[in-house]
Amino acid sequence: MPPRNCALCHEARAILKRPKTGQQICRDCFFWVFETEVHNTITEAGLFKPGDRVAIGASGGKDSTVLAHVMKTLNDRYQYGLELFLLSIDEGITGYRDDSLETVKRNQQQYDMPLKILSYDELYGWTMDAIVSQVGKRNNCTFCGVFRRQALDRGASALHVDHIVTGHNADDIAETVLMNIMRGDIARLGRCTMICTQGEDTIKRSKPFKYAYEKEIVMYAYFKKLDYFSTECIYSPDAYRGHARAFLKDLEAARPSAIIDIIHSGEAFEVKEEIRATQKQQQTCKRCGYMSSNDLCKACTLLEGLERGIANAAITDRARKKLDAEGPAPENLRTIPFYQPSSTPNPALPVTIEGAHN
Amino acid sequence: MSCGNPTVETDALMPRKKKYDKTNECVRCKTSLGNIVIRHAVYCKECFFPLVTFKFRRALEPFVNAKPDGPRRTALKPKGNLLVGFSGGLGSTVLLDLVYRCYVSMDKSTMPAEGGKQHPRHERVWKKVSVCYVEVCDIFPGMKDRTPEVAQLVAQHDGLEFIPLRIQDAFDSSWWARAHSSPGRIDLGVDLTNEELFLNSVPSSTSSTPLESLRTFLASLPTATAMSSTINSLIRLLLLHTALDTGSSHLVLGSSLTSLAVSLISGVSQGRGFNVKEEMQEEWFPDRAPEPSSQREKRTGKGERSVRVIRPLRDVGRKECAAWAWWSGLRVLGRETWPWPGLKQDIGTLTKNFIFGLEKDYPSTVSTIVRTCTKVAPKGEASGICVLCARPIQAGIQEWKSRISIRSRSPGDAIDEKTPVGPSLASHLCYACHTTLTSTSSRPAPPFDATVTKSSLVALPVWVPPQFSEKEELFRTQKMGQEKMRNVVQDFLLDE
Repeated sequence: MPPRNCALCHEARAILKRPKTGQQICRDCFFWVFETEVHNTITEAGLFKPGDRVAIGASGGKDSTVLAHVMKTLNDRYQYGLELFLLSIDEGITGYRDDSLETVKRNQQQYDMPLKILSYDELYGWTMDAIVSQVGKRNNCTFCGVFRRQALDRGASALHVDHIVTGHNADDIAETVLMNIMRGDIARLGRCTMICTQGEDTIKRSKPFKYAYEKEIVMYAYFKKLDYFSTECIYSPDAYRGHARAFLKDLEAARPSAIIDIIHSGEAFEVKEEIRATQKQQQTCKRCGYMSSNDLCKACTLLEGLERGIANAAITDRARKKLDAEGPAPENLRTIPFYQPSSTPNPALPVTIEGAHN
Repeated sequence: MSCGNPTVETDALMPRKKKYDKTNECVRCKTSLGNIVIRHAVYCKECFFPLVTFKFRRALEPFVNAKPDGPRRTALKPKGNLLVGFSGGLGSTVLLDLVYRCYVSMDKSTMPAEGGKQHPRHERVWKKVSVCYVEVCDIFPGMKDRTPEVAQLVAQHDGLEFIPLRIQDAFDSSWWARAHSSPGRIDLGVDLTNEELFLNSVPSSTSSTPLESLRTFLASLPTATAMSSTINSLIRLLLLHTALDTGSSHLVLGSSLTSLAVSLISGVSQGRGFNVKEEMQEEWFPDRAPEPSSQREKRTGKGERSVRVIRPLRDVGRKECAAWAWWSGLRVLGRETWPWPGLKQDIGTLTKNFIFGLEKDYPSTVSTIVRTCTKVAPKGEASGICVLCARPIQAGIQEWKSRISIRSRSPGDAIDEKTPVGPSLASHLCYACHTTLTSTSSRPAPPFDATVTKSSLVALPVWVPPQFSEKEELFRTQKMGQEKMRNVVQDFLLDE
């Protein structure tokens, strides 16, 4: 077959087939189209204003590595006027984060961005290794997910940033839409397609890669020669999510637009007004000050369960009742430092930025 | 180490998990031993039938009167007749049986005992009940025509009218003329090679039969999913128009809880999020011009024609349908699998396999899916009605698409210079129908018949052209503006 010209510039030779549209395009047009779509996503949602301090949730994996590169590129090209930071969470899983944190440290040097690494151990007094040794592999993702979300907010608060951007891509969001329909999580279904979420007291959190295909993110890293570590979490047994992921991959193979079509579906409906009225109002956790739908936030409940040896207290009703039956929490219970989302430095969490500007 | 011999070691066998929660007695009558477990609850055979009948009536009867009035059945007065969409599958076989017992033969066992003989529920609800079957066998070579078998099965029920259709009727102007007492046209074509989907008139020299037009249309679609969902959409529209033709105010379909969950997830995966509500229940107003939904709601007049589509088995799972058919001795013809390898790449088939598999390990999944979907509503305004599938179009979808997936570096670049720029179909389609016609895959659909070739200009189904002749901006103002004006003022013009 003769070489085909790029479907976008009609000049250069096409060297790749875009996973998202099936168009055959050249390398430069791929960079342009990928970056412009992310720029469109950012400007359409009005995510930033000049002078914003923005932390990039950096895990060292493909999504956040490419996100750091693209954010830096777009910030320079379109003069967003952002002050960018890297924020990493160390879950404390032996062998899982070691290599990827090295990638993050290298990004810090390359892009000259300050980096903050916050560990579960530092914040909660528990590493994921220690948690798994108590709760087993089942349900451990609940701990990790809840703890990471709060750790990111606390790390961002320590950096005094206004905004956290994460590398969630279109595949992640499509998968979450399907998952939330299948498990009936109406509250999350309503907000999982939002590009930016913000509670009253929480830091803004956005997903600029919301419409970027996972395959294109890898393709971008490949052509830009960005290196990252692809490590499967050794504790990841979430069978239900695994089913949903495999299903989504099948759908994508059948028709690549399926990912964007699912996101479109998720954006095209909303939770009915009468159902929304019955949902719990958000409040702040009485123990740690973080946003919560109950008196105690999920992280505090999980931590209390861990400390008191009833790890499932926040997962099953039976375990919760058992915990309650044993009386109130002892006074010397280890707790999470009180959360202060204001721009004043958090005394419980000193800001130590790793090797910034060195 | 254990040798795992269960006859010697009782521990070697995995303890079998009980299928029911507490007792094996029926949870309803609490006396008989159970015969079936429905999501952990045990029912005996005698209690099972009233349970399914109750679920059936509960899903149908509150929507029989023009104004939904809650789950009462004191006076069921539909505006018109009833049409049953029949596919030959398990769900529609059970549906036909229930409709026949409850509303045609007036089987006493299907009615609650209280209320006495004079209770209004003993009167017939619909004056006429018709059954429509759409045969698709002509698409695939070598597929068996099951119309005679279906006709025989329907004939076993007294008082039902049988209406056999063929899928190619969707491209048959004479079918349209019969059904609507107005001439039908299939002279409007669309260019499927361009994402703008430019419209053009099909030259009258190309005199294709309806079947040829249908097969060319299907062969020109870009993916297996597109073909399969188009066939389903054509069947749906044929049923709707037949309902109109038979004066039916209600069209009932045999989607069970399981198949409804499949179609909801499959719809979401094809971008039908805006139409989740319609997927469960919808009302079609054929005479309404496409306009914003808020104005449409206000205009529900008395004399306006409409067809309400209801899925009365939406709370009855696949397993319960099977038990009903088995214990009632129903003959299930079954839907013949299409002899086409493309099904493996069809999103509908993939979803079906996925949900059926999930249902085994997580039996509550299907009802959770359906329940979740009842809690969501379409977001934002509708900008019109899709000319292909007759469902609401979400406003601004074309802009959304072009922003999310850039397809050209400069505006207007996508238009091939050789292509004559005519009116475009794209803005008259819902997101899912536009995706169906344009979204490609690196693995194109395998041909269903080697003798059918693709075409760059394919004729559109017979219900599309009449909608365009009503849309002034597309044809009349462009092509016959002066002439039309002259006709209007002719009587006032003096001879020159």
